[in-house]
Amino acid sequence: MHQSLMDLWYGFGVALQPSNFMWSVFGVLIGNLIGVLPGMGALTTISMLLPLTYVIAPVPAILMLAGIFYGSQYGGAIGAILLNLPSHPPHAVTCLDGYPMTRAGRGGAALGITMMSSFFAASVGIIVMIFLSPLLVEIAFKFGPSEICSIMLLGLLAGATMSRGSPLKGVAMTIFGLLCGVVGTDVISGTTRYTFDLPDLADGVELGALCMGLFGIADFLVSVNRTTVKASDAKVSMKDMRPTRAEMKQAFWPMLRGTMVGTLFGAMPGTGPTITTFIAYALERKIAKDPSRFGKGAIEGVAAPEASAHSKTQVDFIPTLSLGIPGDAVMALILGALIIKGIQPGPQLITEHPDIFWGLVASFWIGNVLLVILNVPMIGVWVRMLQVPYKYLYPAALFFICVGVYSTKNSLFDVGEVAVFGIIGAIFLSLDFPVSPIVLGFVLGPMLEENFRRAMLLSRGDLMVFLQRPISAWFIGACCLLIIAQLVAYARKLRLTPKLREPAELIAE
Amino acid sequence: MLRLKSLGKDHCGALLLLALGAGVLALGLGYRMGSLNRMGAGFIPVVLGALMMLVGVAIGVTAAPPGQREMVNPLPGHGTHAGGPEWRGWLCILGGVVAFVVLGQYGGLLPATFASVFVSALGDRNGSVKSSAVLAAALVVFCLIVFHYGLSLQLPLFQWG
Repeated sequence: MHQSLMDLWYGFGVALQPSNFMWSVFGVLIGNLIGVLPGMGALTTISMLLPLTYVIAPVPAILMLAGIFYGSQYGGAIGAILLNLPSHPPHAVTCLDGYPMTRAGRGGAALGITMMSSFFAASVGIIVMIFLSPLLVEIAFKFGPSEICSIMLLGLLAGATMSRGSPLKGVAMTIFGLLCGVVGTDVISGTTRYTFDLPDLADGVELGALCMGLFGIADFLVSVNRTTVKASDAKVSMKDMRPTRAEMKQAFWPMLRGTMVGTLFGAMPGTGPTITTFIAYALERKIAKDPSRFGKGAIEGVAAPEASAHSKTQVDFIPTLSLGIPGDAVMALILGALIIKGIQPGPQLITEHPDIFWGLVASFWIGNVLLVILNVPMIGVWVRMLQVPYKYLYPAALFFICVGVYSTKNSLFDVGEVAVFGIIGAIFLSLDFPVSPIVLGFVLGPMLEENFRRAMLLSRGDLMVFLQRPISAWFIGACCLLIIAQLVAYARKLRLTPKLREPAELIAE
Repeated sequence: MLRLKSLGKDHCGALLLLALGAGVLALGLGYRMGSLNRMGAGFIPVVLGALMMLVGVAIGVTAAPPGQREMVNPLPGHGTHAGGPEWRGWLCILGGVVAFVVLGQYGGLLPATFASVFVSALGDRNGSVKSSAVLAAALVVFCLIVFHYGLSLQLPLFQWG
């Protein structure tokens, strides 16, 4: 405990070094700015700025990426509440009650409450991170290749089944991501795999190209000429942002409960942020005295999901940094950036790179304070940003994507990869496949393969090793539980809809 | 018998996965398999390809017939998949990326910038040649200042080959 506080003090020292502080502020600002723009989520923003991190030192790079992440989350809430336009899926729930509040003229208050609950939840998340990480590290040191494999399997499975849409499709996309990770030279035998004789593919698929194709170009392809973004006529000034005393009182407990939900889910690898916000919202609705108010502008429906999203964001860094298992696609990207910088996430990270870990923790706090300070006076600017038409937005973003990917390795081939992944992503999206598990699979794939092969080598090809080692067995058990839960849910759905199915089948025959 | 009409999105997806899995398997079998104890380069891809086909079959079998599929609630304001194909938008967006690659090689940074923005902006139905050109010109200036002078991007402003 005392040690943690000392480390935190050290972290503040790192985070407040001028160069680190500057990049952190830059990340927060840019993240917030781009997050506000319609259709630009954290993923797009981070992948667009990923190339910038190649030229700066590891510590400021990570501080900046993290800043972009929570900055864009603050920004995303603004679009969700004022425009009914969630640029990042977790904000979809915030729309349900946030937008009706805007229509009722309380949009400013909704934003104010969002900011308060975000800051509160982030602070709780940071505190949990400070005290939980060292504990987790002690456990993580007992991990061998087989444990790492099983926990990765759990993370991938959870990431695949607990996102939006059909769990089977999520699994399919995870496998696709793992396969993308296979492309390139096999580190053990030196064989080049699935390169189609293209020398540029020998180093594997470029992470930035994959992400920008899947989240940038694919999204443009799906939404061009189809987005119906109405310009917001909402006028919000600084004065409006102060919620009334009654509203604050109403939002207090939901904020606490949302924070709890987010913290709980953040510590579990693989559970995405979207599911977390949905659960926080559902919980509020369930325990509300008058559930019918939800969907019509209940302030609880804004406070709880936003709080859960922000505490989850912070707590998510624990498994990402201490185990190397990212919670969702954004974390996978940050993990990928760390690996590119030559830093292997895992239990050694906290002891070997205390500047990164504790600097990051401290910068979270600084960043969140900055966001609150920034967002209140800047709200007028953000509202105007919301009105940038899509027809100017996407060509500019497309250009930034091209330049960004090019600058990573000065390779135009990588820019071509973006186009390919754009087409792939658009096809998958139009068939209702979720694309974010692809990133999770892609980043974890090479690590999973390496550890699996090592574990098999150590056990002389005996698969039972995963069940014989106790920690590993627990993770495998959790995997089985997840699968059983999905099967039960499917069976229940079948039982509930037989009457509906029959007529449809009759028509089909 | 299933008529082609009843091929919903899920069936298409299942077929796509089967094809992908089969392709991965076919290529993967060309690499050394090895044993569980000492895995070759082909082991993991073959397993993944087979798994992908399995998932494809599972999706195909459990797919609800079209017409009563449950909707994955689309995010409000995001691309609802309704409406016909959007060839103009699709071609222009992909054309924009391709233009950047080609003109980056045979032209340099500034032509590539202008072309990628101009071509992709034409994809929007409300966009005109003039507004696209203005946007492209603005980004060329921005690119010159920020990327060339500010971040000293490696791509020369003008080059051939």
